[in-house]
Amino acid sequence: MIRKPFGVGVAMTVLLGTGTAFAWTQGSDKPVKFRLVASLSSLDWEQTTNLRDMKVWHQMYEGLYGMDEAKNGYYPELAKKVDLSKNGLVYTITLQNGVKFQNGDPLKASDVVFSYRRAMKNPRFNYLTSMITDVAAVNDGTVKVTLNKPYSPIAHTFFCVKVLSEKEVTGQGPKFGTIPNKAGTGPYCASNYTIATGLKLEAWSGYWRGAPAIKNVEYVVIPDDTSAVIAYQNGELDYLEDTPLSAWKDVSKAAGDHGKLIKGNNIMFMAVNYLSPGHKALANQKVREAIFYAVNKHDINLAVCDGYGMEATQYMPSEYVPASPSTGFKTYAFDPAKAKKLLAEAGFPKGVDVGAIMTYGTSTSNNAKMAQVLQANLADVGINATVSVAEAAIVTPKLYNQDYDICVFSDSGNYDYNNIRQQVHSESKGMYVIKYQGGPFDWKKLETLCDQGAAISDTDKRRAIYTQLWSLVMDSATILPCLHRPVGVVWSKRLDIGQPVPTYYKIRTFSLK
Amino acid sequence: MYRYVIKRVLFIIPTILGVVFIILLTMSFTPGDPARALLGVAAPQADVDALNHQLGYDLPFTRKYVNYVENMIVHQDFGTSYFTKQPVFDEIWPRYQITIKLAFLGVFLAAVLGIPLGIYAAVRQYTLWDTIPSILAFMIAAIPAFVLGMVFLFYFSLKLNWLPSYGIDTLKHYIMPALAISIPPAAMNMRFMKSSMLESIRQDYVRTARAKGASERKVIWKHALMNALLPVITQIGLSLGTLIAGAVVAEKLFSIPGIGSLIVDRISYKDEPVIIAGTILIAICFTVVMLIVDLIYAWIDPRIRAKYARTKG
Repeated sequence: MIRKPFGVGVAMTVLLGTGTAFAWTQGSDKPVKFRLVASLSSLDWEQTTNLRDMKVWHQMYEGLYGMDEAKNGYYPELAKKVDLSKNGLVYTITLQNGVKFQNGDPLKASDVVFSYRRAMKNPRFNYLTSMITDVAAVNDGTVKVTLNKPYSPIAHTFFCVKVLSEKEVTGQGPKFGTIPNKAGTGPYCASNYTIATGLKLEAWSGYWRGAPAIKNVEYVVIPDDTSAVIAYQNGELDYLEDTPLSAWKDVSKAAGDHGKLIKGNNIMFMAVNYLSPGHKALANQKVREAIFYAVNKHDINLAVCDGYGMEATQYMPSEYVPASPSTGFKTYAFDPAKAKKLLAEAGFPKGVDVGAIMTYGTSTSNNAKMAQVLQANLADVGINATVSVAEAAIVTPKLYNQDYDICVFSDSGNYDYNNIRQQVHSESKGMYVIKYQGGPFDWKKLETLCDQGAAISDTDKRRAIYTQLWSLVMDSATILPCLHRPVGVVWSKRLDIGQPVPTYYKIRTFSLK
Repeated sequence: MYRYVIKRVLFIIPTILGVVFIILLTMSFTPGDPARALLGVAAPQADVDALNHQLGYDLPFTRKYVNYVENMIVHQDFGTSYFTKQPVFDEIWPRYQITIKLAFLGVFLAAVLGIPLGIYAAVRQYTLWDTIPSILAFMIAAIPAFVLGMVFLFYFSLKLNWLPSYGIDTLKHYIMPALAISIPPAAMNMRFMKSSMLESIRQDYVRTARAKGASERKVIWKHALMNALLPVITQIGLSLGTLIAGAVVAEKLFSIPGIGSLIVDRISYKDEPVIIAGTILIAICFTVVMLIVDLIYAWIDPRIRAKYARTKG
C-alpha cells in the first residue's frame, strides 16, 4: 500500500522521461505542414465565403484569374486572353492551352460554363455574380461572359469563382465536397480529408505549369494560438500565418530570416449610425465629427496589435488596391480639444450619452479590444458609451438593419471596388452598415461615383473617382478606418517561400532547401 | 437486482427525450437561424427562408421535436449537419470515441494518483507524508486544466521535445491532455479519500478488528478501505461527467478532435443536429456511468446487496 503512490510516480516518470524522444519524420518526403485555425468545412469551394477555407481551396482549384498580392493583384490564370466588347458588357475569354483537370481530362469551356452557372445559383455568391446575365461556350477553348452593366471590378469575380470539372462534380453528386476529388486544375489535389483533423494534399504531376516542388502538404487543425506557436517552434509546423502578435517578438526572434510582418489587407473600422434608433444625438454631424476626432488610433494599435499595426486612413490599402486613393480626403487626426469644441457647438458642452459600441466576436477578440479603447477615448472627451459584444450571427443583422449606435467591424480589402460598393451603394441589398440612401448626404452622387468607378477600367481615372467618393464618405463622419492589422508569417528553415504575402500564398511557388 | 438494472437502463429513455426537448427548446430561444449562418449576410432573405424551410427549421417546436425523436428512434437517423452536409452520426462518432477514451483515461489517472495518496495520507496523519500531499492537493485542485496544459505544452513539448503538441494519433498524444484533465480531479480524489478513510478508521468495527488481533494491513485494506471507498466512487463517477464535458478545454489546447470542441464550434452555426446528437451521446454515457457506479456500490456494500436480496425474496 505504501509503495503504490511511488510506483505510480515512477511509472509516470518512466513513461514521460525514458520514452524515446519524439522523433519527427525527416527527409524530403516529410509533408510540409500548415495550420488550420478551425476545421475545413468542405472541399467544395462553394460552401462558404470564409477566407480561411478559401486559402486552402486556392491550392486545389483555379479561377479564370489568379491573385498575386506581391504584384498588385489579379493576373490571367486559366484565362489566356480577355477581350471586352465596346459597350463593356461582353467578356470573351480564351482559355489557356494544355490545362488538364486532376482527373486527366482537358479543361473545356463547358466546364467553365458549368462552374459559373453553379455559382450563379448559389445565393451566397450573389455579390460576385449578380452582374452576370449569361455565361456561354463559344467553342471548347472560348467562353463568353455577358454582364447586365459595365463592371470593371469583374476581375474579383473571375478570381473567386473556381473552375471545376463538370464530370467530377456531377459524378460525385451530393458527396462532392465531403470526400477527396480531382475536380480542380490546381497544383494539388486532396488525398485525405477528415473534417475533424484536417486535409492532406499531394502534388499533381500533370499540373499545366509543371509539377510543384513540394510533393506532400498537410493542413492540421490547431485552434489555439499558443499551441500553434509551440508547434511551430518545436518543428511540428512548417508555415504559420497570423502568428499572434503578442508572441511576435519571441517567434520572429526564433524564426530569424524566416519570418516577416506584412501589412495586412484587413482594416478595422468604426461606424457611427446617424439613424441610431435610441440616440438622436448621433444624427448631429458635429457629434459624429467629435467622435471621429476623439479616436486615438495609436491606442487602438497598442491594444489590438501590440503596436505592430498601422494606423489606417484609407478604406483599402493602396499597396493591394492600385485604384485606392491614399490622399485627397479628410482623415480626422486625433484631436480631443477639437472633439470637445465640436461637442459644445452641437449643444452638449457637458457631454453626451451615445449608447453602445457594438461589435462581434469574443470578449477578448480584436474587435472587442478596439471597442474598449474607443469607449475610453470617447469618455475622455465627455462622450459616454457602453460596449456590447456578441456572436457575429447576432450582431451582423443588427448592423445591416442600422439597429445600433456605434459599431466596430473588420473587412478585408477585396483588392478592388467591391468593398466600397458593398458599403455605400443602395443596390448592395442589406450589406451596408450606414444607410446613405435617403440620408442627409449627397447619396445620389455617392452612388453615381460608385457606378462610374465600376464602369471605367483605367486605374488613374478610377482613383480620381474614388477620391471624390471617399471624400464624401469621410465628410459624412460615418465610417472611420482605424487600423491595418499586420499579418505575421513565419516558416521553417527547410522552406523557401519567396516573397511572403498576407493572404493568398501559393504552395506551388514554395520549395525545400 | 436484475429488475433494478433493467429499471435503471430504461431510465435512459426519458433522460434522452428530456435532453432533446431541453436542447431544442433552448436553441429555439437563441437569435439567428442556420440558413443565415450558412448563406452569409449577403444572401437575399427569400433564399434564406427557402433554405430554412428545406432544413425544417421553420417548423413549429412540437413538430420539430416529434420529427427528431421519430427519426432517431424509428430510423436511427440523427440527421445531417447543416454546416458540413455530412451525416451527423458519421461526424460525431469518431470524435465521441476520442473524447470517451480521453475522459476514461483521465478518470483512471485521477483515481490511480488520488486514491493511494489519500489512503497513505490518512494512515500517516500528521506526518510529512500527510502534510505535503495535502497541501499540494489543495493547491493543484485550484489550478484549471488549461493552465496545467499550457505548462505541459511548454515543458514537455517545447523545451524537452518529448511529446507532440497537437493531434491524437498515438498513445504519446494522449499523455499531456490526459494528465492535464486528470490532475485536478486526482487532487479532489485524494482529499475525498483521505477524509473518508480517516472517518472510517475511527469507526467501532475497525477498533473491533484491531482488538481481535487482525494485522494492520488487513484492518486498513479489508475493513476500513472498503467502506471508505463508497463516497470516493461516487466522486469518481461524477468526475467522469465533468471530464467529458470539460475535456473541451484540453481538446482546444491540444488540438484534439473531440466531441466537446465540436459542439462548442457548431453552436455559432446553430448546427442543431450536431449539437443535439452530441449532447445525447454525452447524456447516455453519463447515465451509463452512474448506473455502473450504483452497481459497484451494491457490489462493495453488503448492506445494499442484502437490501436487494430482501426485495427479491
